[in-house]
Amino acid sequence: MKAEQTTFPFSAIVGQDKMKKALLLNIINPKLGGVLVRGEKGTAKSTAVRAMANLLPEIEVVADCPCGCDAYRTMQLCPMCSKIVAQGGELTTTCRKIRVVDLPVGSTEDRVLGTLDLEKAIKEGEKHFEPGILAEAHRGILYVDEVNLLDDHIVDVLLDAAAMGVNAVEREGISFTHPAEFVLVGTMNPEEGELRPQLLDRFGLCVQIEGLSDLDQRVEVVKRRAAFEENPEGFFEQWRPEEEKLSKQIVAAKELLPRVTASDDILKLIAEIAIDMQVDGHRADIVMMKAAKALAAFDGRSEVVREDILEASEMGLPHRMRKKPFQKIGVETEKLKRIVAG
Amino acid sequence: MSIAFANRPENNDTLVMTWGWERWPVYPFSAIVGQDQMKKALLLNAVCPSIGGLLIRGDKGTAKSTAVRALASLLPEIEVVDDCPFGCNPRGPLCLLCRERVQKGHKLLVTRRKIRVVDLPLGATEDRVTGTIDLEQAVKEGTKALQPGLLASAHRGILYIDEVNLLHDHIVDIILDASAMGVNIVEREGISLSHPSEFILVGTMNPEEGELRPQLLDRFGLCVEMGTPWQVEPRLQVLKRREQFDENPWSFLEACGPQQEDLAKTIIEARKRILQISVSEEMIRLCSQLSQEAFVAGHRADITMRKTARAIAALGGRVDVREEDVHEAAELVLLHRMRKPPPPPPPPEHQHEHDHIHDHEDEPEKDHSEQDEPQGSPPPSSEKGTSEQDEAEQPDRDEKDSQDNRSSIRPGIEMVFPVGSPFQVRNLPMKTDRLLRKGSGRRTRSRTMLKTGRYVRSRQDENSTDLALDATLRAAAPYQTRRKKVGVAVAIEKSDLRKKVREKRIGNLIVFVVDASGSMGAGKRMIETKGAVLSLLLDAYQKRDKVAMVAFRGKDADVLLPPTNSVELTYKLLEELPTGGRTPLAHGLALGYQIVDSQLRKDPYTYPILVLISDGKGNVSLSGGKALPEAVELAKNIGEDGRISTVVIDVEKPGLISFGLAHAIASSLGGLYFKIEDLKAETLVDVLKQEVLI
Repeated sequence: MKAEQTTFPFSAIVGQDKMKKALLLNIINPKLGGVLVRGEKGTAKSTAVRAMANLLPEIEVVADCPCGCDAYRTMQLCPMCSKIVAQGGELTTTCRKIRVVDLPVGSTEDRVLGTLDLEKAIKEGEKHFEPGILAEAHRGILYVDEVNLLDDHIVDVLLDAAAMGVNAVEREGISFTHPAEFVLVGTMNPEEGELRPQLLDRFGLCVQIEGLSDLDQRVEVVKRRAAFEENPEGFFEQWRPEEEKLSKQIVAAKELLPRVTASDDILKLIAEIAIDMQVDGHRADIVMMKAAKALAAFDGRSEVVREDILEASEMGLPHRMRKKPFQKIGVETEKLKRIVAG
Repeated sequence: MSIAFANRPENNDTLVMTWGWERWPVYPFSAIVGQDQMKKALLLNAVCPSIGGLLIRGDKGTAKSTAVRALASLLPEIEVVDDCPFGCNPRGPLCLLCRERVQKGHKLLVTRRKIRVVDLPLGATEDRVTGTIDLEQAVKEGTKALQPGLLASAHRGILYIDEVNLLHDHIVDIILDASAMGVNIVEREGISLSHPSEFILVGTMNPEEGELRPQLLDRFGLCVEMGTPWQVEPRLQVLKRREQFDENPWSFLEACGPQQEDLAKTIIEARKRILQISVSEEMIRLCSQLSQEAFVAGHRADITMRKTARAIAALGGRVDVREEDVHEAAELVLLHRMRKPPPPPPPPEHQHEHDHIHDHEDEPEKDHSEQDEPQGSPPPSSEKGTSEQDEAEQPDRDEKDSQDNRSSIRPGIEMVFPVGSPFQVRNLPMKTDRLLRKGSGRRTRSRTMLKTGRYVRSRQDENSTDLALDATLRAAAPYQTRRKKVGVAVAIEKSDLRKKVREKRIGNLIVFVVDASGSMGAGKRMIETKGAVLSLLLDAYQKRDKVAMVAFRGKDADVLLPPTNSVELTYKLLEELPTGGRTPLAHGLALGYQIVDSQLRKDPYTYPILVLISDGKGNVSLSGGKALPEAVELAKNIGEDGRISTVVIDVEKPGLISFGLAHAIASSLGGLYFKIEDLKAETLVDVLKQEVLI
């Protein structure tokens, strides 16, 4: 394990509430399908994603399993763990924090998917699978900075895995399948080229962020950053109460989430929004509902209200709205408000 | 295998237990809301595998993949030879291994198993698809044995390719080969073997991501197009069911159990019933008639339609094929095979008056019977009425203008025209070479020398740093029992070394040189021009090209946009591009060339295309000489630079008089020439025809 470096505390990020909310919702419900953060350079995109790590809860994993399997979901164990179970062995578990795994833009396909283990092959003449980044990201967060600059064929395999929750490797003489359920978090600067609609659709939520325009806020950003750089540990200590408060709120929301209900009226509203806004496919509907439930849970409510839907649709729709390329990504907030108001 | 199932109810034995996504709770087929045509098409294939598969085209998020995965649990059992790696049918055809066993007098043991759905992931490499030498066995026992690939597992089952239009060409070739013959031939790494490989090809695709290769398209027996329902009720239902499933998949599956069983039973019954169904002469005639009306190529449509109609009747619990069955079948069979009626022989179209410099040797267009006419000959009679008068007059004025080099066209007026509606751009045939390139994109396939492309196969190479470990090991494997090994299990010699052959599509650099002069404002020319550029931009977007844009008007040309990946930005500029003033064509070309040249200097592996969109009526010269000859001269110089592909899009309206000036420029450039209306892509099938012809 890498030595832990002090990261900028999540709660100390000034403004950018929408992005922060979207990230938090994904911690509360990992099945939301990730976030795409679109925005200019230097708007705390990466900082926020890295800061998320502090807030993430611990999970129980099989010790020494490269995929970090969940020992209690015997159906979804990776082949290594399955083999141990099949041979009558026991799986030892350990607790660790949910990981944030980086996918660098220059990654090669074999590193992402996994490849043939060189050492074992030559020394023992046996074929072994060396897991890649997707295995590492199982049950965690896969962070792709500048996702729009990623090589096309990597994007394709990434999509495939993200959609199925499974990474199927059929290459270099190896046939290997392991679970790969991860929250995909991507950042991009639209000026450098757009993502394909197909990939856009696979991100559960999408938020658009801009630099802060309020002078006081800008000053605050500089001050906090300077304080952090001077003394990271001290700065973190200073913010620890806030961070802990947020962590607790997340844990509480996670517990509440299964009990959150949405009335038929609310569901109908979602379908109406999707139709009125001309969204292709059902993914938008499903995401809106899930996000709304997570929002309610974050708020400590067990019932979804119309405002949740409005907030959820603002994050779930913008990247699905575009019927044609070149149409500006965004969502007409006014129109949404009208629909929600009935 | 005794696994303690911690959180799984015991009554889910219907799920297949092999490793893969089958072990995930799969959303049940019977619970999919709507999408009846797709569901039916999948069921028909389950009833009658010889229909030949299904292609599902549709928007993202319309349960395409869900349905195919869900089908697996409904499929009936088949008889297979026990421990045959290829799952031979005991009644034949047998694979080599089974035949050997029979010859030796052994009895073939028969077991039953479910029909499989085999996934072909996008990143699959050749060796895993066809099968390859079994490394472990080769090293440990020194024997050559085949490790069966995906084509072996898919025998008598379903080969499922998600996003089939993104699949690598090389893999597509292998699949086409196997599916055409029903046999997979392995000739690699010292293994020479063939085995039966008959499978149902099921693919899903999102047409937004680009079209499918025509040969592959034809392999799919049926095709359905799916859309999103626009009513509240079905969407609500999707939402509710999905949420129920996500909350507790196992109990959801349990609740759907009876429906699933019913459906599975229906399939088994239909599979029995179909044997008794005969199709009457009359119905066969109807099949052929429908195919003929759709102008399909070949007879595959007729044959598939008959089979499909039969399966529809069987699924409907009947033993006779009725007219409505045939019509229903026709919808599924003809969607991707339909063609437009063959065009009537084209009447001799407008004839061009060409510049005398014009030479015809590299005439790129076949359908236009253009002839050189001596200058000043009377224009061919046009049926067009007075409404065209306005436009006919305009070029006349331009013409005068280009000759005496005086500015007369509304010099001060500047207008911004809207962007015309885009269309699908036809495939632009481009030069290909064997140069290794780097970069990324989707237009032109190129060998790549960086270690970044997709690893497709391997080649013997002793000096490469991009070692294909798996292939190297396999090459060394057969000799292991004889080689000396010191401290390692596999002794590798120099001659075993294999390098990875990688391939990727690289994007092109497309430099748009757009005429924004006053003459373009005539009629709706600029609107159309912008529409054409937009269409090319859309195409560039799909193919991951870099774009740059130069516009010329008034006194000189301007680089509006240096090479960028942001197609969106280009669009914005295009939208705002004003029109007006004279036509400094030569300067536009020169600037366009300059961009290409500097880009080539920066990155010699760029694949540049210069697209000139103009009517060719240049009237401002760079050097102060005659404008038009200068432009032609410049075009010739650019044409002589072999690194650049050029395309000229002529926006001149076919009016009473046409000058063909753009055509002259095109032939000087030695590039492709299109009239704006020829740029539109034909239907899918026309493209197919085209490619088959080539």
